[in-house]
Amino acid sequence: MRDEDLIAEVRAFLNTHWDAKKKRPKAGGGAKEFRHRVLEAGFAVPSWTAEWFGRNLAADQARLIEREFAAVAAYGAGQDKTNLFANTILAAGTDALKREVLQGLLTSEIDSCLLYSEPGAGSDLAAVRTRADRTADGWVVQGQKVWTSGARTAQYALLLARTDWDVPKHQGLSFFYMPMKQPGVDVRPLHQITGDSHFNEVFLDGAVVPEANLLGNENGGWKVLQTALAYERLVMGEGAGERRQGSGKDNRKSLIQMARSAGRLGDPVLRQKIAQALAYRQLNDLNLARAKAEMAQGTASPIMSLGKLAMSRILHGDAAVMADILGAASLLDGEENPESADMNYRALNAYMTSIGGGTDQIQRNIIAERVLGLPREIEVDRDLPFRDSRAVKG
Amino acid sequence: MSISADELAAIRASFQRLLAERGTEADVRRAIASPEGYDAALWRGIGDLGLAGLIAPVADGGAGGGAVELELLMEDAGAALLCAPFLSSVVIAGGLVAGGDDAEDRARLLPRLISGAAVGAVALTGEAGLWTPQDITVRAAEGRLTGVASYVLFGAQADVLLAAAWDAEGPAVYEVAAGATGLTITPLKTFDLTQPMAKIAFEGVEARRIAGPEALARTLDLGRIALAGEQAGAARRIFEITLDYLRTRVQFGRPIGGFQAMKHMAADLLIEVENATSAARHAASAVAQGAPNAQVMVNLAAFACADAFSQTAATAVQMHGGIAFTWDHPAHLYLRRARADARLFGASDLYRDRYLAALEAVDA
Repeated sequence: MRDEDLIAEVRAFLNTHWDAKKKRPKAGGGAKEFRHRVLEAGFAVPSWTAEWFGRNLAADQARLIEREFAAVAAYGAGQDKTNLFANTILAAGTDALKREVLQGLLTSEIDSCLLYSEPGAGSDLAAVRTRADRTADGWVVQGQKVWTSGARTAQYALLLARTDWDVPKHQGLSFFYMPMKQPGVDVRPLHQITGDSHFNEVFLDGAVVPEANLLGNENGGWKVLQTALAYERLVMGEGAGERRQGSGKDNRKSLIQMARSAGRLGDPVLRQKIAQALAYRQLNDLNLARAKAEMAQGTASPIMSLGKLAMSRILHGDAAVMADILGAASLLDGEENPESADMNYRALNAYMTSIGGGTDQIQRNIIAERVLGLPREIEVDRDLPFRDSRAVKG
Repeated sequence: MSISADELAAIRASFQRLLAERGTEADVRRAIASPEGYDAALWRGIGDLGLAGLIAPVADGGAGGGAVELELLMEDAGAALLCAPFLSSVVIAGGLVAGGDDAEDRARLLPRLISGAAVGAVALTGEAGLWTPQDITVRAAEGRLTGVASYVLFGAQADVLLAAAWDAEGPAVYEVAAGATGLTITPLKTFDLTQPMAKIAFEGVEARRIAGPEALARTLDLGRIALAGEQAGAARRIFEITLDYLRTRVQFGRPIGGFQAMKHMAADLLIEVENATSAARHAASAVAQGAPNAQVMVNLAAFACADAFSQTAATAVQMHGGIAFTWDHPAHLYLRRARADARLFGASDLYRDRYLAALEAVDA
């Protein structure tokens, strides 16, 4: 298919179904209906096969569709790049599971959450102790998870659990897509440093996962997890972590505007700090643009793995410069001091990006090992049966 | 643009081949010890390949390249710590002559610059070395220049000598004869060994105006892009040299690249190196396309690439440890070049401020 034919087709589709001025589906169609149309047209996951809602398009053509959607602020396209749940299930799910959930995932009718971290397994994720045991009725799960966003509304979860305790830690893990709405799943909100309760603790006591919901091979979970993690970090590197949860607030409020209204845009020291903060953000955008261009030409780009680490510096840095602009007012908080409250929130919420999804320090290890080819970390429990490791024995 | 993607790839390959054969570390060390102060043989090689005419207009006998082609070649030049007057002669002097008003001047000067037969140099800043228009202290009056310029790249080697000087229109560009009366050229002892500089005093030196303020501003932008490319390429090369060492240097029974202290420094430097490459290339394409945010991108590249190269070269010495404290290790050559490049057209603080001003202008 020629590029111009594809673009014409996408534009015709959007003309028919999307109101570009009001940025919503045209009269008579709701968001759900629009997402179904996007899926039926093959625009949701264009690089996937026709069997699974795709059109077998090459990456560069798939991006053309995305660009057309982005130009009119329409949603639903480009999920072959961003929807970590759908991508993980496409890559590792059974056909039965794909038939059950892929459509719902791609039309946003199914919400999912991540059950990875545990109180005893943070950076060392392979040390999880939540267990899944195979029974005649499916896998029975016992354990405790933490740092789960969206757990209260999710119908499903990607679950990392131990299925063999007698092999080294990476080799005894399995990955599941677990139904959340069942007895044995207890979700409790976690009170965060920002005052929000975006994350939850999830207690699992006899929850059941159907056999068809095992992703990849039994005890092959670590490998499947890497696919899901890569999507998550990619999305965080593009700045998704800075969207304030539960509000439509735009976090990219210009530092220039803020300094101008404080009457301090002429302060030469502040100007240096503002320029550097804006530069880090712009440089990250330029890096992502270059990486996408390189990948569209079929060249693998190491830059994509840098985004999350770069974004940490950007978010912490933005908040620090804002505090400098506000001066003594940065000591205040609350609704009567909205600028200070916003800055304080950002200063604390920046840790979500520098800790969540792998801390900056873990990210640096990953970049050094996988991108730069430096020697792997020495792990004293790497070859030890998990049962004998300090994660279990203390 | 008159250079196709295939032609550019071929040009770049020939430049890389030349540098691999005749721009090695041993060549760099020979050049910095030579009486000329640069690698005359390599400079001839550049001329022979037609690269000294890279950005000169086709009508004037050049290759007709623009910012994008220039930036890419400068990445290679930077990686090899090119010891030749490419930036001074090809980019700045050549750019000013090509951008000048007078066809006779172009016909007289450009062929020698394009062939590499002449070395061009341009006095751009005063003794304060701020690279701002206010810092130009040379004045032009009745066809004569008076004042002092300093930090002039290849000033003592120049066959074609130009100077920025104030006249009624603003900072304009004048040509003086290399041996003119009233001209005193003093070579400077510089920290960076790969780029010679001179101080030049003008005492009523006969001069010919060849270009106005607009051509000067345009050429300086091209110079900033070229320098940004050089910094990006040099930063990447010293980073790669460091990575090789991390993989092979064994202490405590394992390669030192296995230690997190080293890994974390390396990961942070990779961000700097990629930032520099992105900034330099995007600035080049913004200028080539005449994009509305071209000034934003040029100023961003100016400080982002300077800071990235400085940080990478400085950190590389630390990561190597003792071996890089020796004269025989190349790390200090990169560090010296980084420190010179970071001030060559003005310091990062200047460009950060200009970047913010350009963003304000785009926002407004």
